[in-house]
Amino acid sequence: MDIFTLRNLSVGYEKTEVLGNLEFGIPAAQVTAVVGKSGCGKTTLLKTLAGLVPPLAGEVLLDGARVDYFSEDSLRSLYEKIGVLYQDSALLNNLNLFENVALPIRMQHPEMPEPVIREIVYDRLSQVGLIDSAAKFPVELSGGMRKRGGLARALVLDPQVVLCDEPSGGLDPITSGHLDDLLQSLSRTFRMTLVVVTHELRSIERIADTVLVLNEGRQLFCGGLKDVLASADPFIRSFFLRKVDHDDA
Amino acid sequence: MEENRKTVIAMPRRLRIHDVPGAFRAVQSGLREGAVTVDFQAVDEFDTSGLALLHHLRGCDPRIEVANIGDRLEAALGAFLGGEAPAACEVPSLGFPIRVFHSLSDRFLGMLARVRNFLVLFGDEIYYTFGYLKGRRGVYPGEVWNQLFFMGYKSFPITCVLIFLVGVTIALMSAQQLKLYGATIYVADLVGLSMLRELVPLMTGIILAGKVGAAVAAELSTMIVLEEVDALKTMGVVPEKYLMAPRLVAITLAVPLLVAMADAVGIGAGVLVGRFSLNILPSAFVREMLTTVGLGDFLLGLAKTLVFGWVVILASGYKGLSVGRSAGEVGRATTETVVLSVALIIGIDCIFAFIIY
Repeated sequence: MDIFTLRNLSVGYEKTEVLGNLEFGIPAAQVTAVVGKSGCGKTTLLKTLAGLVPPLAGEVLLDGARVDYFSEDSLRSLYEKIGVLYQDSALLNNLNLFENVALPIRMQHPEMPEPVIREIVYDRLSQVGLIDSAAKFPVELSGGMRKRGGLARALVLDPQVVLCDEPSGGLDPITSGHLDDLLQSLSRTFRMTLVVVTHELRSIERIADTVLVLNEGRQLFCGGLKDVLASADPFIRSFFLRKVDHDDA
Repeated sequence: MEENRKTVIAMPRRLRIHDVPGAFRAVQSGLREGAVTVDFQAVDEFDTSGLALLHHLRGCDPRIEVANIGDRLEAALGAFLGGEAPAACEVPSLGFPIRVFHSLSDRFLGMLARVRNFLVLFGDEIYYTFGYLKGRRGVYPGEVWNQLFFMGYKSFPITCVLIFLVGVTIALMSAQQLKLYGATIYVADLVGLSMLRELVPLMTGIILAGKVGAAVAAELSTMIVLEEVDALKTMGVVPEKYLMAPRLVAITLAVPLLVAMADAVGIGAGVLVGRFSLNILPSAFVREMLTTVGLGDFLLGLAKTLVFGWVVILASGYKGLSVGRSAGEVGRATTETVVLSVALIIGIDCIFAFIIY
């Protein structure tokens, strides 16, 4: 069953279309990788799923209900179901890691008792291996630690879907591998849906169940990992196999 | 015959970035005498700039003939040029009056949109601030106190120093004129009135614009660039409430304290000038001042400064939250906040003057 369904979706900024005619579903409890060249609209798509960029045309359904980007109630309902890991983690610099992770609870459930908040936050921080860094501020953390802190914050309210914008971007292969393992275990253990925008072929092979390929603002392919690897499409071949078919170019 | 008149210019063995300007000048000087043949036979070492020169010479002037390009150079040139050159985009040219009309109408519509956005933010902030005061939700706990510390406590020293200096200047300047009429004692009235009604509100507003407004705009715009505002939205937080409501509450609490302190310092400066420069006893100074200055003047100054404080916070929120994604816009937003705040403060002060006097 699909948790997100996109119907004839066009997305862009003001009147400039970045993505057009998107028609696919994101299966629940699976990892969907969104791939494509730089500037093809991957992050824009993620922002649309996160409720930040309203579509120019078409619609997005979450659990079968249409997301209304101009209704506070509809967006609130969307935000209750999703968590977002941003490219640069987007931790608030004036709060320490503990407070950053606690922030969604404090904002959405102000009546939550402090000891319970502490339990939840420390549980999430231990899940991402940052329990010893709870008192540190974002500027004191390395890039990988900030990413994991951002993931802990995205997970703190047990969202159904986690949207990750280049989780491995700028990380060394070892740290990136650990983050991939973490994402995969979250998906398997908690039956969480992950939508991961990435360029990293190793990450895609390691964690993706479904792959959505975008090229020049259009949906080129959406299907299983094995199918995408077996595709005869020249762009997909050049992207995944690093093999350029000059005859087709 | 034609061929014989051509000047042959041999390119050097090294055609790297330091050699290209000299080679280019040689070709240009050759062209002054007629057609030239540029011979690349000796070129052995080259870089991108050498290839760029070759590409340029091939197409720039029909009087230039390029000769003896080896296979290696040709292959490198092919790689340098890469894919197809982008097609030139033809923009239909419009007549001058239409261009001027387009430009003016765009500016006018842009200005209207900015005014509308500012008013929308103004309405939103009133709604969110009252919402916060009513329900205490949607704002990080303790944020009002953090902001109060920054806007109030941290602004005290600079405000007091500047108001003191202005007080001294006003007292000395007015005393010089009043001495001519033997009315030195009226320095007290002049300093008291001008401080409470005009100088303290105006100076405090401008100091808040430079110190608080710039800092708030820089912080908010940096948060936009670092996607922190997007992160707040996807946490179900309303950024305009989370970021702005505590600042508006804090400035409302800080301004009365700042104004009271600044009034005292400004009048104190007048008292000191009166005592040491004009031989007016402090008690006489205060007694004379109180014959003219009352609580109404203090409240008027306080009301004006409160309005100026809100203007500073709203202007910084408007500018800070409307930046794009580039770091350069942070600096622009900060500067524009100070300019907009000061302009609005002086404009509103003028409106107050029309209403009051």
